[in-house]
Amino acid sequence: MTSAPAVRPSAGIGLRAAHYAQLLERRPALSLLEVHSENFFGAGGASLAWLERFRGLYPLSFHGVGLSLGSSEAVDAVHLAKLASLVKRFQPALVSEHACWSSSAGRHSNDLLPLPYTEEALANFAAHVDAVQEKLGRRILIENVSSYMRFAHSTIPEWEFVSEVVRRTGCGLLLDVNNIWVNSRNHGFDPAQYLAAIDPACVEEVHLAGFESQGALLIDTHSRPVTNDVWALYRGAIDRIGPRPTIIEWDADIPELDVLLAEADKADAALGTRRGVEQAA
Amino acid sequence: MSALAPTQRAFIDALYSQSPCDPGIEIYRRNMLANLGGALASTFPVVERLVGDVFFREAARVFVLAHPSRSGDLNEYGEAFPDFLAAYPHARSLPYLRDVARLEWACHESYQTADAPPFDLASLGAVPAASYPKIRFTLHPSVRLVRSSHPIEAIWSANQPGRDGTPDRETGPDAVVVGRDEGGVRVRKVEDTEWDFLAALEKGATLEEASAAIGEDAAARFLAEGLARLVREGMVRGFSVAAA
Repeated sequence: MTSAPAVRPSAGIGLRAAHYAQLLERRPALSLLEVHSENFFGAGGASLAWLERFRGLYPLSFHGVGLSLGSSEAVDAVHLAKLASLVKRFQPALVSEHACWSSSAGRHSNDLLPLPYTEEALANFAAHVDAVQEKLGRRILIENVSSYMRFAHSTIPEWEFVSEVVRRTGCGLLLDVNNIWVNSRNHGFDPAQYLAAIDPACVEEVHLAGFESQGALLIDTHSRPVTNDVWALYRGAIDRIGPRPTIIEWDADIPELDVLLAEADKADAALGTRRGVEQAA
Repeated sequence: MSALAPTQRAFIDALYSQSPCDPGIEIYRRNMLANLGGALASTFPVVERLVGDVFFREAARVFVLAHPSRSGDLNEYGEAFPDFLAAYPHARSLPYLRDVARLEWACHESYQTADAPPFDLASLGAVPAASYPKIRFTLHPSVRLVRSSHPIEAIWSANQPGRDGTPDRETGPDAVVVGRDEGGVRVRKVEDTEWDFLAALEKGATLEEASAAIGEDAAARFLAEGLARLVREGMVRGFSVAAA
């Protein structure tokens, strides 16, 4: 397997169509542009033409939302072939998917559904990560997801589940700090306990985003600024694992580019402080 | 003990069911309806504008529950929406809605089809005149042909961003060609004969066969002007010459 070139441990953003033209004109300093892989599954046309323009300017991260790695059925060969062809064409710096499932018996939810954390689900998930890494000929990253319900028959804490997937498959971890915060509130655990269980060496990327409240639940909507609680958790995470490329995700009620870049600046400030500590040491 | 496959099957069953479910699953059902409904709104913005967002959201909800998504790529969702609208009782007063939706789906498909290099009319110079009737043009992958008894092109154009929604014609029929150029997807109303000619080419007809399909006079007129325009507009990808 080949390794992609290392990405600078500073802030990047999720690339959304509303910002294409401005980004291309202004070219702010960003470590990464992250796209949803599926949005570029078409055979041609304007979306791919835009991506061609960006590839020479920024390292790209392909973030999949539809592979459904946690489904009990085999990974969808057509979906995987489209991803493989996209990865071959653009050679992105990072490729990632989610620790979740989306489909069963041919019906998709097109959402990131929670897994029961069992030995069976773990073995199944790890086998699917292996299959994808084999097909792509490279390592992928797996992201922890937000969830709004738990299965009573789960036997493994979420942090052990994702850590064990990493251990069994050699994949990397895309640590979504907002998702840890959301789940800690929704399911009542200490987010510090989650972070303490994560091997810093396997974290290659970090995500930050904003959530909304629905009654007693926090919903990971990617529609708001990152909250102060999540910034605090992020600083703690960076202190522990070291500076990592960090993406600000914003997918609904998408703001002006400057709002997004201001969030990226905040992440850079946290990362810069930590980099300074490392240089001084 | 609850095995993964039946757990997931029951979960998806619950998402696509109308009946009340566990409050935890209910949140995922709402998310799914919002995601798939959002995908429909993004593919069918003119339909949404014609019926209003409240009507659209409810129609999308009924559609989604009856038409599960079959792909992890949201861009593939919604091909059956036009036919659903035709049968949707609350949309009976808008008889043109299905065909406007068909036109929007054609645009959606056209947007993401393969790129192809521009076709050079000069390359026809290598074909001996006697073989012209046997030329078989292939259309650009982005070309879609839509026909309706309603003024769908006028309705579609009037509901593009910046327009006030008032069509400049009240009657059809409309023969419409969808294609793509540097500026993106383009929608153009054409003469019936041009549409028939393109439909014949799309099915693999030679120039001779496509001309016969629309009558010699119309074919002569079209070949004199229309064909060069199609090439200029990037509607033609290439050609082959059928064996005599």
